[in-house]
Amino acid sequence: MVALICTAPVRVGLMLSAIVAGLATAVPLSGSAQESPALGSGDGGGNPTRSDALSPDRLIDVPVVNLTPGAVNVRPKLAIPKLDADAAQRGLQYFTNFNCVGCHMPNGGGGMGPALSHRPFIYGDRPENIYLSIHQGRPNGMPAWGTVIPEKLIWDLVAYIENINQAPVQQWGTTTSMTSPAIEQVPKEFKPSTARPWNYTQKFSNGQAPNP
Amino acid sequence: MLCGPRGCLPYAALLFLTATVSAAADTPAPSPSPPNSPPNPSAAGSAAPPPTIEQLVGDKNNWGMAAKDYANTRYSELDQINAANVAQLQVAWMFSLGAARGQEAAPLVINGVVYVVAPYAGPNPNQVFALDLANGDLKWSYAPKPDSAAAGIACCDVVSRGLAYDKGKIFLNTLDGYSVAIDAATGKELWHTRLGDINKGETITMAPVVVKDKVLVGNSGGEYGARGWLAAVDANSGKILWRAYSTGPDSEVLIGNDFKPPYPWMSGKDMGVKSWPPDKWKVGGGNAWGWISYDAELNLIYYGTGNPGAWNHQTRPGDNLWSCAIFARNPDTGMAKWAYQIGPHDLWDYDEINENVLVDLPVNNQVRKVLIHPGRNGYMYVLDRATGEVLSADAFDTVNTISAIDLKSGRPVLNDSLTPQVGRTVRNVCPASPGAKDWQPSAWSPRTKLLYVPHQHLCMNFLTGDVGYIAGTPYVGADVDMFAGPGGDRGEFMAWNPVTKKKVWAIAEPLPVWSGALVTKGDVAFYGTMDRWFKAVDANSGKLLWQFRAGSGFIGQPTTFSGADGRQYVAIISGVGGWSGAIAAAKIDPRVRNGALGFTGAMQDLPAHTVGGATLLVFALPANKRDTANIAAPQQ
Repeated sequence: MVALICTAPVRVGLMLSAIVAGLATAVPLSGSAQESPALGSGDGGGNPTRSDALSPDRLIDVPVVNLTPGAVNVRPKLAIPKLDADAAQRGLQYFTNFNCVGCHMPNGGGGMGPALSHRPFIYGDRPENIYLSIHQGRPNGMPAWGTVIPEKLIWDLVAYIENINQAPVQQWGTTTSMTSPAIEQVPKEFKPSTARPWNYTQKFSNGQAPNP
Repeated sequence: MLCGPRGCLPYAALLFLTATVSAAADTPAPSPSPPNSPPNPSAAGSAAPPPTIEQLVGDKNNWGMAAKDYANTRYSELDQINAANVAQLQVAWMFSLGAARGQEAAPLVINGVVYVVAPYAGPNPNQVFALDLANGDLKWSYAPKPDSAAAGIACCDVVSRGLAYDKGKIFLNTLDGYSVAIDAATGKELWHTRLGDINKGETITMAPVVVKDKVLVGNSGGEYGARGWLAAVDANSGKILWRAYSTGPDSEVLIGNDFKPPYPWMSGKDMGVKSWPPDKWKVGGGNAWGWISYDAELNLIYYGTGNPGAWNHQTRPGDNLWSCAIFARNPDTGMAKWAYQIGPHDLWDYDEINENVLVDLPVNNQVRKVLIHPGRNGYMYVLDRATGEVLSADAFDTVNTISAIDLKSGRPVLNDSLTPQVGRTVRNVCPASPGAKDWQPSAWSPRTKLLYVPHQHLCMNFLTGDVGYIAGTPYVGADVDMFAGPGGDRGEFMAWNPVTKKKVWAIAEPLPVWSGALVTKGDVAFYGTMDRWFKAVDANSGKLLWQFRAGSGFIGQPTTFSGADGRQYVAIISGVGGWSGAIAAAKIDPRVRNGALGFTGAMQDLPAHTVGGATLLVFALPANKRDTANIAAPQQ
């Protein structure tokens, strides 16, 4: 564990320089090398220290499904980083920088990749599940990012995804008809930089030009 | 030479064709076959060789390649079904392909066997099926060995536009980049060759075309910065014979001393490098994912290239050769004879991969060998197919991005006020990125001399942003939001006269018409709608003669052929999807307009009309008055 923390900054630096060379916008990583050991401790949330919370073993313990043989309720508590508004705003930037937006589309609307704008997610929608989906990749086309971008950055993306999937819920299921859905998000060309797109909605346009 | 609606053949080939067909008709075969058709290659003990694609393109009873013939006319000489009786058309049988994503494949029929391919989804991605036309029996199926990750590299649904056939072999392209040859009689794999790499953002969705024992295959990947190419694979061995790139130095684009572009601004050495900032041609796109036609007399293949990478044009100042261009190449060597770039420095993702229909047309009272190319940019092009010179280019839908095509220079006259700039939303851009017409192919009738064009009617808002290239991830840099064009209807099926350069008639549809077209000697034109109607209209007047409500919307290609029973059949696969319809078959949120590269905005109500499907439908006139649907003549 300690060895991991010591080598992480070097690994991060090497990989990042390869990626940053190709990016139009530099990735803001202020103090990331020094910050890693502090994750989960000293963040003001009173969480346990990183050393017993964020090991890859424990992340894997978080189930992706509500199905545990023996009807045992398994809900491990992990000390993950605080997924606050700042983290979500950083995640918004990374969502563009790493071309997540290319597959999942602005505000996670879905396209080449599935929509992230509403639950459920097929590979689990708890933060730990989302973290591992990004880290490991997933069948049917999600690339494996874990060896290519640092953990802190992935948590910021998780924070952003947690924000964009807060779709308003009117009923337990989903009705689709000529009158449902009744609302749509204000499209990105009129509301470019928000990490909370569900705060801005308008009347559903039925394929006609949107009314901002 | 002999030129007709299906293109041109030297006399020698015509004589060979006639001799082979009449010889085959004399050969005794164990099962009955209609006159003037080669015997069934899968009949046990048959000594006749399987038909060649050159024979099949001239054979009205079969449909041997997706576009019907090398001229890409999609016109059938069959007239048992005609404008007077098509109202009686009914289902003969159906077959479910299993994988309920976009069904774009054209059903092929060779001597009583139907060949279709499913999309890249479900337990057997890109599964190929061979079915007995007489009763819908499944003869065999073949499932390639898939890499499921390819599904995440497909920009526009996990579609396949169909198979190819020649001399007893079926040819398949897989989404994850393989060219495969399969024994048409048994379904056994003959060879497979890897052509593309998903880690470079490459996939393959196009239907291959076989010319002179070479399987021609082009890649997709313009939204991933995947460098475009067209490759020729030996039909017998699977070896790659040549590969012509769409960007880069002349040595890789296969431009040599024989190359003569029709306009001087495309002349010069290594223009595929010089028309880009340093090294940007390496992620330049220009993918050959559409249709290929072939003129045997000129010995030229014609195909178009896709958009340059990235969509944000400010990453790539310059003309970005040879993206958004039509190439004419020698099929034996791949060397380019001419190229014409329809869209220099593309601003809008106006790929120019649409079909090039080879026709002899009167232009200024002189018959010219031309190609008709419905441009994505909304202009109907007529080019001299020997030289690439633009003879005419006329708008066929609402266009405000380009005010005219300057016939003297060959360049579009752009509306500069709409030029995208990072951080500035451009509103009401017409046509939207899929253009006035996307890949969905048109059909040409030599009787009416009209082009039957399925297409859409969309505009968009467009906001470019910074983007960096990371291999295997999208390279786009644009937020798009499409919506219905002026008037509110999002699609149209029209008949266009390329000599008068006018629409003769047009049928407005509420949704984009994303299926291909078919037209016949019976003066009937067929197309399918995304809200599940398969329609037959009068080829002269456009009057609706017959329609059928299927299980799922149509984005496929209708084909027609005869059976051993002497009946004419029409077939199409039902199953919505594709770039326009993926919202109804995949997990895309209708409330987020910018999804699906902006198509969500225009199609957000589609799930209220249809969801995914996977059904091959085969129609015919009733054999007798007592026939009901789904009962075919029993096998003896």
